[in-house]
Amino acid sequence: MTPTPKTCALCSKFRAIIKRPKTGQQICKECFFFVFETEVHNTITEAKLFSRGDRVAIGASGGKDSTVLAHVMKALNERYGYGLDLYLLSIDEGITGYRDDSLETVKRNQQQYSMPLKILSYDELYGWTMDAIVSQIGKKNNCTFCGVFRRQALDRGAAMLKVDHIVTGHNADDIAETVLMNIMRGDIARLGRCTLICTEGEDTIKRSKPFKYAYEKEIVMYAYFKRLDYFSTECIYSPDAYRGHARTFLKDLESARPSAIIDIIHSGEAFEVKEEVRKGQKAQQTCRKCGYMSSNDLCKACTLLEGLEKGLAEARIIDVGGRTGSHEMPPEEPREVTKLDPS
Amino acid sequence: MPRKSKFDKSKTCIKCKTARGNIVIRHAVYCKTCFTPLVVTKYKRCLDPHINAAPDGQRRSTLKASGNLLIGLSGGLGSTVLLDITSRCYFSTKSSTEDGRKGGKAHPKNDRVWKQASVCFVDTSRAFSEGVTKDRSEDIRAMVEQHKEFEFIVLRLEDAFDISWWKQLGGYVPSSDIRANLANEDLVITEAHLQSSDPVASLRSYLSSLPTATAVRSSINTLARLLLLHTARSMQCSHLLLGTSLTSLSISLINSIAQGGGFNVLEESFEEWTPQIARSAQDASSDSPHLAGGVCTVRVVRPLRDIGMKECAAWAWWNGLQVVGKDRTFDPDGKQTIGGLTKDFIVGLERDYPSTVSTIARTCAKLAPKNEPDGQCIVCERPAQRGIQDWKSRISIRSLEPPSPHPPHVASDDPPPISLTPHLCYACHTTLISRSSRSTVQNGAEASLAPLPVWTRSALVESDAADVMGTKRLVDHEDMRNAIGEFLLHD
Repeated sequence: MTPTPKTCALCSKFRAIIKRPKTGQQICKECFFFVFETEVHNTITEAKLFSRGDRVAIGASGGKDSTVLAHVMKALNERYGYGLDLYLLSIDEGITGYRDDSLETVKRNQQQYSMPLKILSYDELYGWTMDAIVSQIGKKNNCTFCGVFRRQALDRGAAMLKVDHIVTGHNADDIAETVLMNIMRGDIARLGRCTLICTEGEDTIKRSKPFKYAYEKEIVMYAYFKRLDYFSTECIYSPDAYRGHARTFLKDLESARPSAIIDIIHSGEAFEVKEEVRKGQKAQQTCRKCGYMSSNDLCKACTLLEGLEKGLAEARIIDVGGRTGSHEMPPEEPREVTKLDPS
Repeated sequence: MPRKSKFDKSKTCIKCKTARGNIVIRHAVYCKTCFTPLVVTKYKRCLDPHINAAPDGQRRSTLKASGNLLIGLSGGLGSTVLLDITSRCYFSTKSSTEDGRKGGKAHPKNDRVWKQASVCFVDTSRAFSEGVTKDRSEDIRAMVEQHKEFEFIVLRLEDAFDISWWKQLGGYVPSSDIRANLANEDLVITEAHLQSSDPVASLRSYLSSLPTATAVRSSINTLARLLLLHTARSMQCSHLLLGTSLTSLSISLINSIAQGGGFNVLEESFEEWTPQIARSAQDASSDSPHLAGGVCTVRVVRPLRDIGMKECAAWAWWNGLQVVGKDRTFDPDGKQTIGGLTKDFIVGLERDYPSTVSTIARTCAKLAPKNEPDGQCIVCERPAQRGIQDWKSRISIRSLEPPSPHPPHVASDDPPPISLTPHLCYACHTTLISRSSRSTVQNGAEASLAPLPVWTRSALVESDAADVMGTKRLVDHEDMRNAIGEFLLHD
């Protein structure tokens, strides 16, 4: 005997075709689109993310999150009359065989959604591709370089596009995982700000996460039913082992109780760093080399780049003399860093 | 490939620098002789500052608690070690000369810190069908009887549903049986004529109504915690000590965060608990029977919170302590529940990265709740946050229609159903309603009508909770009137 089809728990009219990962309700396709988009709209309006006339860049990687984000942002902008000028902004890390295909998706989105696209490469900005970095430092810890460079690259790309705001496709799973990771590695500064929907540096561009409460599974579901195509290739370089650890744990928690993801985010929003601890934290400064916001004299990207260049110089010394060179050795040809234009 | 050394420099104890080391604690080597004072110092450093009612800053004065002492004993490693160290440090029967104490026997400095001390074990064996778990109370009794200075008390998990137990403690007993419908988000309360119900049956009915295995596990922990706290209050105890080690503290912190308990993250390591009934009595009058004896706040201290599981195990082994063991019948493989998964994860991390558990505890100690609490949750009796339901309905839409307000004439005839939801914290509400594909509860409203713990029932019907609900109805009515005021036609 075949079970009788269930009707949608929301509209009570149509046949339910999915069980919503977030609530466990059995609902129809149209209701799913409606609640998914409305929740993103609620997130945007509750946090007062945009003002009419804002120029907003969508950080587009060609993966599922940013592909769905571009689609939803365009739909909401039209439906609710946000009055935003939307742009696509992509970063090419220079990883052969990984980024090439996904950039094609972004170019297709540019056509579909008639949004201007800007692609910025690490090579152009820093003089290094990720392929070159990995050949220098090996596969271990290269995610640190990529993450730090990408953040700055997005800001620099946004400055070139003269936008006020960057939206990224970080979803609820990413945020819950970051809360757990920051607790486990004792990163109190990041723990305090990782659940914020919108972050803004002193002279940088606003950056926000409209998918903050959207489950990864629902993003995939949305892309599937809307027939949006994207690339889901894992990065060919080693994944961040610690993050991988936290992600596996989070997935286990989600399968024990699906609300765990949203519960972790709720926890992260419910606490803050104690006043006395906050006072002891370093004040934010600007990098003396590139002008980007920084906790030290040099920003993280410039510190990493210095390390890379020093490494090259040392490698040359080892090649010649067979011994490790001095750690104080300056780079042979100091790199020119693109200064951030505050205007 | 040669195996990586477990210790950083040498095999000699880093403390005395003479003896050969016997244990490696987070890359540092200690000998057996230096290990004992190390553990005792860590223990006292966590407990001593909380003993006196008011902290006395840098000056170390005589330790004197304002009430008695209750130790929660589960039979596990942590609580066994806790009992042993507490007995040695604060209840040692050695004479002053043997002990090297100054000032003679009569000196106030050599008085006992707590007048009376009791050990309490909460038996959970009847939470499930007969024969599934063994009642270990006699094994635990045998263990506690080795320490003559402690009185032994056995509580049963079903006491949480036992009106006679609640009456003995001076709790308010409602005249009707109150149950909550766990089938929907509002957790609507239904009242029925009070029948003499069997506490064991009520406990099992409550647990079987819960939607997930995670909820069952955390509810058992909450019930046991509240049983201990209410017992402590009734025995005029100023302190409840729990054997939470650094490892188990990290597990409970992550477990609590994963279940939405971020607002109460501080309470996981140290808590000052004032019962709901004492709060309402305090507001009403100062000479209430609930406040008899003057002790109405119980400090929950976890003196082993800086001592890892490995150090606890070494202490137990070197001191020949017999560990009865915890009940592991429920979720034995740890794969069913958030608590079990967290435990597996943290214990695994501790093995590979021994500093992680300490990092978790230290990070969480730097956190504080973001906003002022809005009362106390009537299930777990911890501070609750405001605006939880608005937040939930905004980020996960569960209904397409907004709840329609009732016009005043309808409201007066047919009062809105009383809901448990506004009186709960986020974590307890989630425990009662959050489902999974492996839900334990059967479908249907009848199966979800759950009995409630005695303190929850008491708080719901007791004056202050009733006032809250009464006021809420009144405000709604007024709000409605204000909202439609300009459209009202006058005769």
